[in-house]
Amino acid sequence: MIRRPNQNRSIIVLVAPAFIFVLVFFVLPLIFLLSQSVLPGDGGFTLTGYADFFESRVSRIVYLRTLKIGLIVTGISVLMSYPAAFLLARMPARRRSFLMLLVILPLMTNAVARTFAWLIILGKRGMINQTLMSLGLVETPVRFMYTETAIVLGLTQLFLPLMVLPLVSAMENIPDDVLEAARSLGANRLTTFVRIVVPLSSDGLVLGATLVFTGSVTAFVTPAILGGSRLLMMSTLLRQKSVAIFDQQAAAVIAVVMILTTLAVNLLLRVGRVRQV
Amino acid sequence: MRSKPLILLLLAALVLGLAAPMAVAQDTQTLTVSIWGFNLDVLEENVFAPFEEMHNVDIVLDTGNNSDRLARLQAEGENTTIDVVHFATQFTHLASEAGLLQPYNPDLLENLDEVYDWAQDPLGNQAGAGYTVNSLSLIYRADQIEAGISSWADLLRDDVAGYVSIPEMSTTFGPAALIMIDRALAMADMEEGEAEINYDADLAWEALPQLADNLVTTYIRSSELTTLVQEEEVWVAPYASFAIGNLMNTGHDLSTVVPEEGVVGQTNMISITAATDKVDLAHAYIDWFISHDVQEAEALDLIDSPVNATVELPEDICALLTCGEMLDTMIVLDQAEVSDRLADWLERWNEVMVR
Repeated sequence: MIRRPNQNRSIIVLVAPAFIFVLVFFVLPLIFLLSQSVLPGDGGFTLTGYADFFESRVSRIVYLRTLKIGLIVTGISVLMSYPAAFLLARMPARRRSFLMLLVILPLMTNAVARTFAWLIILGKRGMINQTLMSLGLVETPVRFMYTETAIVLGLTQLFLPLMVLPLVSAMENIPDDVLEAARSLGANRLTTFVRIVVPLSSDGLVLGATLVFTGSVTAFVTPAILGGSRLLMMSTLLRQKSVAIFDQQAAAVIAVVMILTTLAVNLLLRVGRVRQV
Repeated sequence: MRSKPLILLLLAALVLGLAAPMAVAQDTQTLTVSIWGFNLDVLEENVFAPFEEMHNVDIVLDTGNNSDRLARLQAEGENTTIDVVHFATQFTHLASEAGLLQPYNPDLLENLDEVYDWAQDPLGNQAGAGYTVNSLSLIYRADQIEAGISSWADLLRDDVAGYVSIPEMSTTFGPAALIMIDRALAMADMEEGEAEINYDADLAWEALPQLADNLVTTYIRSSELTTLVQEEEVWVAPYASFAIGNLMNTGHDLSTVVPEEGVVGQTNMISITAATDKVDLAHAYIDWFISHDVQEAEALDLIDSPVNATVELPEDICALLTCGEMLDTMIVLDQAEVSDRLADWLERWNEVMVR
């Protein structure tokens, strides 16, 4: 296709605002963050901030805990979203839009209000404990709040829509003929799902998993309220370094480690998808 | 043309209209005050509006929490427009260490002599004057803890295990709680008398794993403690005096106690920035804030506990503030000692808490 000069100019004009916005408000701060992590105030390039981070037992525990919670939330989201997305993608348009609205409801609720709602469910006087006690299953309330389980529940509720939406979008593009052909060749429903639907929706899976994982490892409000300040995650550790002891280099190191981790996970998912397909 | 004089007249009116406010603005100088964003309507009535009228000045507010405002002050350096700044003592110490403040001149503060000694110069370098005091004490559920609570060491008791919360180490009162537990443990080993404050808090650090086992969680903001008490997750905790109203509103059977080892006092301070050239006006602002009239008005509105010793309050008001007999047992910590240890303490604290 041959582009005319006017067409090229139009493309530049159309792209420029978004490009400038991303450059000024994302790329430049990212470069500043990176430089802050390796160039402390007294000058000179150093990686001691990174060495200190990985040498610290606390940092390693917090990092591994954050990774673990991120992976669990992503895994649960995948398992819960696939069947739901498959059904949604094959529903009549009107019913689908209504159900999609319900799916994205958590994203439309204020983060603090949504997280405090978990207190009503998981607290000592919460719904679950009241039910367990009234059924005589426990005598004293069980502690659900301020545990990793509470954080996983809260993050899964929050980020589930980010997995469902790309999966629905990917599955809508799978022609019904392909599924019928698989069945006519003897594949049962499970085989069709695993060998046809999953590979053909892997773009949505990679996008959704990246969004859910990134959201989970960088979330602040939900872990802070449901986990409490004692159950540190990377985001709450970053707050400590930045706000409590004003160690901006250590805070920048944590931020860069978080960014590199999410990029690495995205890369792994992409590599995995290519091999699968 | 007939319309020409009319246009000239309109132009003249426009120029005069624009110029008049500018002339007024040139006569009125501004004082930029960095302060928390709480109770500003009451402060406007008790402090800002009368000061503006007395000194023909416009007060411009820069609001935010301690750390945000300190970070801004650091980033702006000599170019900051902030003239005076309100900080908790530990943040005043950090700002002072960073060279962001200039010492006040006691000769320019007529009301300073009326202020309690411990609030006149809390950091000992005239980096700022204390204008209010908060205290850290203990609160507990009287209906759940039959034996009651009388000491900081009671937070380690088995009968409260699983129902304790304490302020996180990174907060204003985090180190203070640990130091008071240390004092309580030291006094428990003594037959009589009082233990000195040990800023290394060795006994408390030894006991921290045991305390950690008793904790539901730690808290960063007083509002978090209120929620924990409200939801019956917590029965006993150290609390900051300014949170008492919200805690009592939870509707539970709560009792406050002045522990045997005393309460911790923490002053909020007003300081003059190094970059300001409105030094006289800044001193006038501090002097006004620590004056009898302002201190009394702020106390009666339950906003700030007074540091001006001439203020006498009704008993019911005093009971809700840090004043009266509580001041006799109040310990004011040396923030320089605390701040110097904070980074190391935070790492040690995390070591225990991540178990």
